[in-house]
Amino acid sequence: MEPILKFDNVSKQYPNGVHALEGVSFTVTEGEFISVIGPSGSGKSTLLRAINRLIPISGGTVWLDGHAVSCQRGAALRQLRRKVGMIFQNYNLVYSLSVLQNVLHGRLGYMGGIKGVFGLYSEEDKQEAMDLLEELWLESFAYNRASDLSGGQKQRVGIARAIMQQPKLLLCDEPIASLDPSSAKTIMDLLRDMARRRNIACIVNLHQLDVALNYSSRIIGLSKGQVVFDGPPELLDDGTIERIYGTSRENLMMGGRGSDQAYSADCA
Amino acid sequence: MSMEQTQALPLEKRQKLLRTAHGGTGKRTRIPVKCRQRNRFIPRFLTGVVVLTAASLLYLEIDWGKLISRVPDIGGVFWQLGHLDFSNMDLIASSLLETVSIAVLSLLYSLLLGIVFGMLAARNVFRLPWLSVLTQSFFTFLRAVPTPVWVLLMLVCLGMGAEAGVAGLCVHTTAFFTKSFAQSFESIPDETVEALEATGASRLSIFFNAILPAALSQIVAWAGMRLETNFSECAILGMVGAGGIGYVISNSLQGYDYGTAGVAILLVFLVAYLIERMFVRIKKRFY
Amino acid sequence: MTKHIPLIARDLKRLYTGFLIAAVVLFVICSILTEFNLMTLIANGDAFWTFLTEDFLPPALPRASRIPNILSSVLVTLALAISATTVAAVLAFFVALFGSEKVSPFPRFAKVVRGLATFLRNIPALVWAFILFSSLGIGTGVGFVALCITSFAFMVRAFVETMEDVSQDCVESLQAVGATFPQRVAQAILPSCLSGFLSWYLYCVEVNIRASTIVGMVGGGGVGMTLFSYIKSFRYDVALTIILLIAAMVIVVDQITSKLRKELQK
Repeated sequence: MEPILKFDNVSKQYPNGVHALEGVSFTVTEGEFISVIGPSGSGKSTLLRAINRLIPISGGTVWLDGHAVSCQRGAALRQLRRKVGMIFQNYNLVYSLSVLQNVLHGRLGYMGGIKGVFGLYSEEDKQEAMDLLEELWLESFAYNRASDLSGGQKQRVGIARAIMQQPKLLLCDEPIASLDPSSAKTIMDLLRDMARRRNIACIVNLHQLDVALNYSSRIIGLSKGQVVFDGPPELLDDGTIERIYGTSRENLMMGGRGSDQAYSADCA
Repeated sequence: MSMEQTQALPLEKRQKLLRTAHGGTGKRTRIPVKCRQRNRFIPRFLTGVVVLTAASLLYLEIDWGKLISRVPDIGGVFWQLGHLDFSNMDLIASSLLETVSIAVLSLLYSLLLGIVFGMLAARNVFRLPWLSVLTQSFFTFLRAVPTPVWVLLMLVCLGMGAEAGVAGLCVHTTAFFTKSFAQSFESIPDETVEALEATGASRLSIFFNAILPAALSQIVAWAGMRLETNFSECAILGMVGAGGIGYVISNSLQGYDYGTAGVAILLVFLVAYLIERMFVRIKKRFY
Repeated sequence: MTKHIPLIARDLKRLYTGFLIAAVVLFVICSILTEFNLMTLIANGDAFWTFLTEDFLPPALPRASRIPNILSSVLVTLALAISATTVAAVLAFFVALFGSEKVSPFPRFAKVVRGLATFLRNIPALVWAFILFSSLGIGTGVGFVALCITSFAFMVRAFVETMEDVSQDCVESLQAVGATFPQRVAQAILPSCLSGFLSWYLYCVEVNIRASTIVGMVGGGGVGMTLFSYIKSFRYDVALTIILLIAAMVIVVDQITSKLRKELQK
């Protein structure tokens, strides 16, 4: 199958000298559901933002759908970006606008400059956004301010906005880190189902090892900017986990034997 | 792609039902996108601002043609200001020092006065409503009149010198402090004051032992903020007739001594910038 | 032997002692430098009192023929403050878009923009007025430009801070969607920051009402100029009337702006 995304020896060094990514290489094909795991500061967030060039990389090449992302500027870059939906930990909605307007923001990449500025969306787009909201059980909130919603609902709006882009790839940056356990489960289920149904490849940054093991078809383990594991969840053994997190599996599972250290490992 | 795929969804039926309930297929009618409850005040406010501004500009009858035709001269003035002339440095330095000193002195005196009057103006210290209202409204009046006016009047009755500057600046600064300190004092929970009242402490001892210490950090913050304002106010006092760096600036500008004026303006900028940075630093460290 | 028991935490105590010592030292140095003596001020109290009771009080009305002029000069001051603030706000909005690394399409220049604003802001409006007087001549137009400069610089800083507080996140998400810079401004920054911008605008109007009175005193026109001319001609009782008028103007404007601000936050 044709790869959608290909990292070729990508590295990123920040101006303050921190090496966030070092020689990262992997490919992603259609329909994959990939979790990126690793302790804080291991470069997960940088990895995601390198894909749509929210952070420019300093070495190597990111190939997105056959185009090298780092060479693109202006309109070409925007055309690439609209193929990639993104979901954020803090939802990143415009809270003073309506839920529907926030969902329609997903179409901005497809619209002419002036039409987008004034928010003159086509009726087809609006209908599609309404359908999407119904699919996410949000239709009754369409005309509420986004600030009125709960955390889980806000994240569902974030998903709707990303799906509105009709993306080939979905990037999720800690999508459930600010949510309570039950909303987190809803969001993860939704992500998996929507991605599967629309055949969208999904890359999810996760803090929670158990969630990653349950949902993904493939796991990438990052440690200090380097890929230390890349494979299906079944192959992720205790030794590898220790190499990724620098601590044993028991210490990562809350309520396990080393439960008193679990928090420090989770929040590290 | 979305069409075929949504066909397959089980919720398609639900959508169809909903769509007919909304009336029609939904393709014909325009779907609104904006919030149900949005702030309808903002558009009205913006219209009001535009109308008022247009009316103001018409009323001012500014001769734009003349103004714009002289714009190139600004470049010339800046060019000359850029040729810094350090020959009058001793005069500039001494008047800058005087300006800074006046700013600091007026700040310190006002700090003391502000605490006293703030005590009178706060509702929870003496619990005399008429006293608070009287103090508050008197200082509201003093605050509403710009500082240079007070300095001018002080110049008239005290004569040239630092006294007029300090006294004039004190009027406005004290008024400002009175209001802010009274606010800080009033932010202390009533329960605390009541608890002390129950011990039989006098009003004054409650103030000095509970209310003032609790507000101390805010008082320091207000004072730091005010130093910035006081310096820039003090720098302009010279321009309306008092001494200090402002006098040097206006005098040398009027005497076409642009080099000296340039140095003085640069120094005013540097001191103001320094105070601002210092304050930002202090704020970061203690809050 | 009894030990001294501290009442407040040590570092806090050290901080306050530091401030107190600094205040006392500064007080002594400044008093010596300016030869300012509170006693002379108090000794002059008599002169002050005579001035207050004989020259200043009671407020007197100016000649009836002058009253329309005075009222129109109040309007000039108001008009000057409002129009200068609005023009400065519009300019500041467009410039502020380039003053934040997170929002600007040219992040490298953000520092330059903010530096320029800092420079313009830290020079008082009256100094700008004097610089402009020497190139543009005396008049209302120059007062307008001088007020514009400082409030422009102030609002650039305030707007940049508002944007970084409020809309940094949603700008990032619209960037990820592939929206153009104007689209990001119109769809993310404006809706989320507009009420914040407007309340800064109102604050600036308040400041500029006072500033335009002062700029008027040195030749910018308006009620400041009228007041200055009465003081110069020793008509202190009439000057007091005008001071009262200025105070009334400022208080009314403050009341209106605080009402509007509450309405904006709804």
